[in-house]
Parts: sequence; C-alpha cells; structure tokens
Amino acid sequence: MSLVKPDIETITQRPAWFAAWPIARTALHLVFRRKLFWVLFAVALFSFLLMFGAIYLLATLRQEYKWLEEFITSRLKDLDGSGTTFLNFMKAQGTVTMILLAFAGSVLAGNDHSRGGLIFYLSRRIKLVHYGTGKLLAIGLLPSLTTTLPALILFIEYGLLGDTGMYFGEKYPIIFGILGYGALLSVAVGLLLFALVSWMPRPVPLVMLWGGLFVFLPILSRILTLTMREPGVRRRHALEESPWRLLDFWNDLYIIGNKFFGVDKPLFIGATIVVCSVCVVSVIAIFVRLRQLQHQS
Amino acid sequence: MTLESPPTAESSSLVEVRHVSKWFGPLMALNDISLEIGPGITGLIGPNGAGKTTLLKLLTGQSKPTLGEIRICGHEAWLAKAKAHVGFCPYGDATWDELSGRRLVRVTAGLHGFTGDEAERRTESVLETVGMSDRADRPVRTYSKGMRQRIKLCQALIHDPDLLVLDEPLNGIDPVGREELNELFLRLARAGKAVLISSHILNEMDELADHILFVCRGKLLASGSLETIRDLLDDYPLKVHVSCESPRQIASPLMALESVKSVSVQPPEDLFLEVQNPNRFYAEFGEFATTHDIQLHRLKATDTSAEAVFDYLMERASRPE
Repeated sequence: MSLVKPDIETITQRPAWFAAWPIARTALHLVFRRKLFWVLFAVALFSFLLMFGAIYLLATLRQEYKWLEEFITSRLKDLDGSGTTFLNFMKAQGTVTMILLAFAGSVLAGNDHSRGGLIFYLSRRIKLVHYGTGKLLAIGLLPSLTTTLPALILFIEYGLLGDTGMYFGEKYPIIFGILGYGALLSVAVGLLLFALVSWMPRPVPLVMLWGGLFVFLPILSRILTLTMREPGVRRRHALEESPWRLLDFWNDLYIIGNKFFGVDKPLFIGATIVVCSVCVVSVIAIFVRLRQLQHQS
Repeated sequence: MTLESPPTAESSSLVEVRHVSKWFGPLMALNDISLEIGPGITGLIGPNGAGKTTLLKLLTGQSKPTLGEIRICGHEAWLAKAKAHVGFCPYGDATWDELSGRRLVRVTAGLHGFTGDEAERRTESVLETVGMSDRADRPVRTYSKGMRQRIKLCQALIHDPDLLVLDEPLNGIDPVGREELNELFLRLARAGKAVLISSHILNEMDELADHILFVCRGKLLASGSLETIRDLLDDYPLKVHVSCESPRQIASPLMALESVKSVSVQPPEDLFLEVQNPNRFYAEFGEFATTHDIQLHRLKATDTSAEAVFDYLMERASRPE
C-alpha cells in the first residue's frame, strides 16, 4: 500500500523558477568575495568616471562658454548625449568586461562541476533548466554592471545637467536602446561563457580561450580586413563593411546593438546570423554537458 | 534469488520502487529492483560498485530509471512534487568553503522556494536541531568533518522532508560525533520520517537500522529486518555461543536435538553450536535447559550481525546458479 501524502508545503513554496535567484546570488556572492573582481571592477569604473566627469564639464561649459561646448560635441559624437554616446560607451567597456568575465567564469559556474555543486542543486526540487537559468542570470548580471548600469547612470546625468524636461522628453527611446543592447550583451556573452565554462571549468585554460576569442580573433579580423581590402577602398569603410569583421564577436554585438538605437550598420544580417548561431550552439553545448555531468556525478 | 520478508497487512511505504533497471550504455547498474521503504531507519548495504549510488540518485530524482518506476509519496521520483518530500545528504562536500554554514542553509531554503521570514525560521530551526546554531556563522572551511556533515544534514532537512536519504553520513566522523548523529537519526525516525542510510560501516547498521537492503552487482540480494533475513538463510546454519558450567556434559545430549547440526566444546565453559532452524532451536533449547538444570551464563547468536549476514549473502550471490 502506498502512502500518498498531500502537498501542503508546496502551496506555501514559490515555484521552482524562483530558485534561479538564490543560485545566481550565491554565484555572485562568491565572485564579490574575490579582490581581483574588485580591482577589475574599479578599472571598469575608471572609464565610467572619466565619462561622468566629461559630461559634467560639458554641462559647465554650456553655462559659460556655449560655443566651446558646441564645438566639442560637434567634434566628439561620443559626448553629444545622443544614442551613439551611450552605445559607444558600452562598446568601449568591452575589453575590461571580457577580462572580468574570463576570471569570474570559473567561480560563477566552473566550480560547480569540480566540487559537486551540480548534485547539490539537482537533488533539490529544481531541474537542469532552472539551474542553467540561475547560472545565466549570474553571468549575465556581470556585464550589466559594467555596461548597462553605468550607461543608464550617464544618461540620467546628461539629462539632469542639461535641459532636463526637453532631453528626457526627446531622448527617452535611448533608455530602451541601452536596455536592449545591454540585454543582448548579457544573453549572448552569458551563453557563450557558460558553454565554455561547462566544458572547460579550470580558470587558466578558460582565460586563454576567452582571450583568444575576444583578443586574438578581433586582431585577426582587422589584419585580414586591411590586408585583403580592394585597392581604393578606404580603411574606415573596409573596417565597417568587410565580412572578415564578423570574426570579432564583440563587434557583431555592437552592429546589432546599433539597431536598438535606430542606426543601421552594414553587415547587420551577417552579425545577426553569427550571434544567433553562437547562442544556439552554446545552448546545445551547455545542456549536453550538464546532462553528461549529471550522469557522471 | 532475492530474500524478502513477507509484507505485513499494515505496511505503508513512502517509497515504492517497482522493477527498476538502469543502464549506462552497455553497463547495467541496476537490474530489476523492487522494494518499498517506510517510516523508520533503513540501511542500504553493498560493496563498491553494487549500485548503491545509482539507486540513491534514482530515489532523489537526479536520474531516471531506464525501466520501471519509482514513486515517492505517490509522485514519480524525478518530479518536483516528489523532490519536495525528499532530503538528500550527499557523500561529498558539495558546498562552498568560503560561505558560512548559516548562509549555505539559507541558500537551500531559497532553492526550495522559501523566502523572507519563513526561510529564516526554517534555517534557525534546522541549525538548532543538529546543534550548529552557535557555530553557523563561521566559514565552512574552518569546520571539522562532523560539522560539515551536520550542515549537509541541515540542507537536507530544511524543507521538512518525509524521506531523508543519507549517503555515507558517518564516514570520517569521530565516535562522539557518530553517537550524536545516530541519536539524531533515531529521533527523526521516531518522528515518523523514513531515513535511508547508505553505509559500508556494517556494525552501525546493526544498532541503527530497523530494515536492511542488501545490494550487490545491481541486484537486491535481500531486504527486511536483519533477524528475518538471517532466518531465511537456511543454507547457512546459525552459530550460537553457549557459556555454562559443565559444557562437556551437555554436549552429547545437545546433539540429540533435531535443530542442532554440530557442537564443539571449548573449555572451560564455552560451547559453539551450529543450528539449522533458529526458532525451533530456541524452543527446544529452553526445554533442554530446564530438563537438564543447566546453569547458563550466556546464550548468543554470533553471526546475526549485518556483517555476517552480508558475508553469507555475498557468498551465496557468488555461487553458480
């Protein structure tokens, strides 16, 4: 005779999807405990602070030397408060974000595979998909801290230091651009890192591979673009239009990111295919590996 | 052949395993296992590679059986509804050394869907239960093996499960710690929970377990109380140690008893008997002792321990069919 017990407890418990947050929080907590993370985060904040100071300086110039402020913003699109300002800022954060992720990857997810964390999670009332979501949330939040969040703060600063009502009234779509581009960065980079960490949990090989993808490939793409350009094609155009540029994953994300700010860039379709393919392959790689680890553990 | 004690009319099981087999590629880890686990302490015993860990993984819903079904409190084992009734304490230290014990338990509460005050209340309650309240703020890396084991137990108990699955919970723990943990397991069993303990320390199972599952080469060799399984092993005579004042004088009349197979005398006062049918022997021996006015100092079966039974079962399993 089987004893069928009522599930009274489950009524007071939140659905299993909510378990993603404790998983993400634990992973982030482990990263935040490391000094190296704070050093890299400080480096990431450095360019944010420079930008913050530059916007403040422009606002001061606007009050006293308007011609000088107009001259600077006409020359430097990165400081005119348009979508390009925040888009380029987020792109510029790429290097430090990639270094940060390379070092944090093993702590965020890799250790679970070597320390039996997967058993710890999967013996609770959650499935692989909940575990994967929690880890992706943790990995995705890190690039948000160095790209999306600072960009939003700069946007608010720009508005508050200028003609607040008019700026926010006219430029509010920029918020959606920042959030959209930020979400794209978090999801695409998060999936790629999680896939690599799943197969390569140790930090040193991971840093080398990650470095290869985000340092070596961009350099290679530039070299190939410039050496194989047609005679007469200008360097700037070649760097924007050559298909070899698709080897630079961060640049592919930037090309798609422009769309969120209403700007059409060459190679958009190519970049979309590359990013979607990387995401799909990453998802497959993650679940194949997790299933494998589940059976091995 | 599987030795199983007959089911009782009032038996009620939290876990039902029906004809379960599990294959890993060409390797058969479990072969047509059927068993039931009810409230109380159940010991899972078997040599390395017997399939204990695979069985535990199936019971805790980490893996699906290739054939057959496992139901926990009426739900299929790999469903979240079933996992809500199961608390698992794994063998390894599946924890993060740099976090405090309290934080780890709190994280587990979150994984089970408890938040805010309820999560706090449960965390403090289980820490109190295992006696770790005052030491739970230290990082886990500073803990002894026993303290780590207690934190893992807290994580398994946080959602007040009906079935507690413990993989080698006493491994590496000092005698004092063992006694405390054994007391805790008994307390949980008295509270109506089913506690399944996988262990290779067979002596401890003698004292702890009400019910034993012997597993070898992916098969369930025997299940039931130790006494019942021993009684069913009729091809292995029970060894009985008798101490009395005049062993030589009673050796010969003892051989006349139908249930006694052999007698050996070890002066000054010991007799070692091999007995065919234990129940019948105890009845005959009582009458014999009264008739012959024997001054009995000791009467003890020497091979009813889990270790002895396990050895017999292994020997029996290795015989050609």
